Amino acid sequence: MANAVGAPLKRKEDPRLLTGNGCFADDIQLPGMLHAVILRSPHAHAKIKKINVEEALKSPHVIAVYTGKDLEGKIGPVPSSWLVPDCNLKEAPQYPLAIDRVRYVGDGVALIIADDRYAARDALDLIDVEYEVLPAAVRQKEAMQKGAPLVHDDIENNIALHWKAGEVAEEIMENAEVVVQESFYVQRVFPSPIETRAAIGQYNPGSEELTLWCTSQNPHIHRMVLAGVLGISEAKLRVIAPDMGGGFGGKIGVYPDEALIGYAARDLGRPVKWIEQRSEHFTSSNAGRDEVIDVELAGNRDGTLTAIRVKNTANLGAYLSTMGPGVSTIDFGLMITGAYDIPHASCETFGVYTNTTPTDAYRGAGKPEATYQIERIIDLYAREIGMDPLELRKKNLVRKEAFPYTNAQGLVYDSGDYEKPLQKALEIVNYEQLRQEQEKLRKQGKLIGIGLSTYVELCGFGPSKVAGAIGFQGGVWENSTVRVHPSGKVTVYSGTSPHGQGHATTFGQIVADKLGVPMEDIELVFSDTKAISMSWGTYGSRSTAVGGAAVAIAADRVVEKAKKIAAHELEAAVEDITFENGVFQVKGVPGQQRTFQEIAKSANMAWNLPEGMEPSLEAQSFFDPENFVYPFGTHIAIVEVDKETGEIEWKRYVCVDDVGRVINPLTAEGQVHGGVAQGVGQALWEGAIYSKEGQLLSGTLMDYALPKARFFPHIESSFTETLSPVNPLGAKGVGETGTTASIPAVMNAVMDALKPYGVKDIEMPLTPEKVWRAIQNGEGN
Amino acid sequence: MNIESSHTFKGVSRELLWKTLQNKEALRRSLPGCQSFEEVEDNVFNAELGINIGPVKGAFTGVVRQVDINEPESYRLLLEGKGKPGEIDADAQMSLEETDEGTILTCRADVKVTGVLAAVGQRVMGGVAKVILGQFFKDIQKETKEMAKL
Repeated sequence: MANAVGAPLKRKEDPRLLTGNGCFADDIQLPGMLHAVILRSPHAHAKIKKINVEEALKSPHVIAVYTGKDLEGKIGPVPSSWLVPDCNLKEAPQYPLAIDRVRYVGDGVALIIADDRYAARDALDLIDVEYEVLPAAVRQKEAMQKGAPLVHDDIENNIALHWKAGEVAEEIMENAEVVVQESFYVQRVFPSPIETRAAIGQYNPGSEELTLWCTSQNPHIHRMVLAGVLGISEAKLRVIAPDMGGGFGGKIGVYPDEALIGYAARDLGRPVKWIEQRSEHFTSSNAGRDEVIDVELAGNRDGTLTAIRVKNTANLGAYLSTMGPGVSTIDFGLMITGAYDIPHASCETFGVYTNTTPTDAYRGAGKPEATYQIERIIDLYAREIGMDPLELRKKNLVRKEAFPYTNAQGLVYDSGDYEKPLQKALEIVNYEQLRQEQEKLRKQGKLIGIGLSTYVELCGFGPSKVAGAIGFQGGVWENSTVRVHPSGKVTVYSGTSPHGQGHATTFGQIVADKLGVPMEDIELVFSDTKAISMSWGTYGSRSTAVGGAAVAIAADRVVEKAKKIAAHELEAAVEDITFENGVFQVKGVPGQQRTFQEIAKSANMAWNLPEGMEPSLEAQSFFDPENFVYPFGTHIAIVEVDKETGEIEWKRYVCVDDVGRVINPLTAEGQVHGGVAQGVGQALWEGAIYSKEGQLLSGTLMDYALPKARFFPHIESSFTETLSPVNPLGAKGVGETGTTASIPAVMNAVMDALKPYGVKDIEMPLTPEKVWRAIQNGEGN
Repeated sequence: MNIESSHTFKGVSRELLWKTLQNKEALRRSLPGCQSFEEVEDNVFNAELGINIGPVKGAFTGVVRQVDINEPESYRLLLEGKGKPGEIDADAQMSLEETDEGTILTCRADVKVTGVLAAVGQRVMGGVAKVILGQFFKDIQKETKEMAKL
């Protein structure tokens, strides 16, 4: 199929999923399957004095109960996979079940296995745990204070890491005409995929192979880490991620729970299934954000920006999660200058242990926080010097001619043209007129706000040598095999592991274009460590830029070989063979041609191949990009605030994103919509609330305001295309742009609406009560 | 969380109210959902209460201690309870104030909860506690009449 790339094709996955023919973890039924539940700590911090499991074991359905002590020496601790260097990182061991002390509400205490799911749940009530409650450290800044309760006795002041990057000389700040300071709290939120986590283990005592189906965004990382935790060869551990109802970062982590299920299946010799409850998800799945960010932005009265100094105090929870240490350091601290040419920057991050659920990467991972602080402080700076926030942005955006651009923290932005999406967005909303209208309506007492976010974000994780240098315990290359069967039908293996993104469609489009075969002739295989040799998974908007590039390269290699076979059969020189729309043609000799399918057959039959050529038509590629990719764009939010009630009404939401080559505008737009929903959710509604004792008070969907589709206006999404030079597709990443851009866009819009009252900042989420109070306490009231 | 509630016992003297509140049988009958209430040592009681807080229902067993007794003005109740939905730890200051109308009983409690009770119940707990205390006050009011006959 020609020109599949760039076409808004409907998702290949949907007919199957929408007709109930998907296979999610809970759809998996195995003969003799047992059911697991995990008893979790009701206390944020307590000593375990005694666990009495006898009553539970008396239940006729209960097969086994394991406690932390039972597993000592049998399963290792689950390690973090991001050991950020040069920050005095202190990793406390996280055992799959707490042994003598629980450190957060939701910490695993006992594993119950029963032959009936309901009986397993009921058995939770039969285990009696005697705790000695200890004082808890809950909020990061308090947890760092001397005398605060220690989460881990040997980790002083609960400081897990202290990281610094960049330096701003004191005189630069002192000599600046203007220094604007603010402290932002990017609150803790829950990734909340529609499907909770799950794991199913099956052990084959004959082959000694353990198969683990689990809700993982990166099955190969799960295999690598769990092989170590369980003491099993990677060659005997197969990890499969079945169909998944979203992840958003919450399913990157290798959790104790998955290790437990693998262990129990092997120990009992029977399949074991564990499905996380929704209420359990709130306390036991890694959360996102929770960073207190203190910013100082320095510059001149004319709007020239000279330096930014940032301090981030991040709540890492009770243990270091898989990616946790990297979020508030590398991901955040190197991106603090955003899309602006600010010559001096420094970031200092404290990562703090607390008696809360661990935090990990959540859609955007550090970049939404970095973008939030810079986009918010830019607006405050503009207000301080009496400049339109648009003008201040225009004055400081990195110029098109500057790419590849090295930011103050040393990152090299691959390509960019920041004015392009900005201009397009301004035209869509008719900015000039909009400002005049706002002024007019203000006089009538109506509070209209216009919020801009001109963002850039870092994604498409690679190259591996950089990953190694920043302490990531893995590579970040990708792998693909394109296998052409005798009929010319194609199976494509890709290491990235989709869970809602539609890779079968977009990667199919790449292959359809390369091989000139119809979409329906291409099957994609993902998410099975036995089918794909190695990979690093789907997160950080890397699937297309890295995984898709690997697919494209493998497909190119297939064509290269097929061309040689065609040349051989057509008795022509390889250089004289053209390949277009699935046909190999001798240049200038009509009729002298072979179809892709004919060559597929020739290659597989191998009756007549060029001298020395190996049979079959299959190619593999391992692609390690030379740099990250940096998508960018402009989001504009227009809101109206009801001054009587503090309620925020959406007027318009416009986004123009530049994510490099757009493979499929339909799925790309879907990613933007979802990203915006999660970003706006953070700005307006969502927020984890812990009591001072460390009890999670927002632990149900009644108490945690996850936005619904009807909360949103029509999201007006469009793209510009500035190709990336670091991969053959020219693609960047689209999965996280919406979240990254939208949080400050909305906040800036609401703060702009409240400008007549002198309101500069309100802590997220912007509940009507907070907005109303800000108006009441505002100037002129 | 803090819970505060008060009730005026019309026409009831402070001494009578105090006597009623100190009567084990009267208390057993008045405590909401009380299944057992036994004095195990001086001013220490083992109690079993059925509690129904919004979506959270369950039986709680626990210990109630009466301390800082300052007859007939005030006392403190320390409650530690445990049940399927979670644990309760409460410290309640009870004060009795005599007025022309009668006696005002005020309960100021600092309540800590865990488990489902915290995650699900917290939102409605303030309201429910008022209802439960209201019922308790009403029942105590009745008991004062019985007590007056003695």
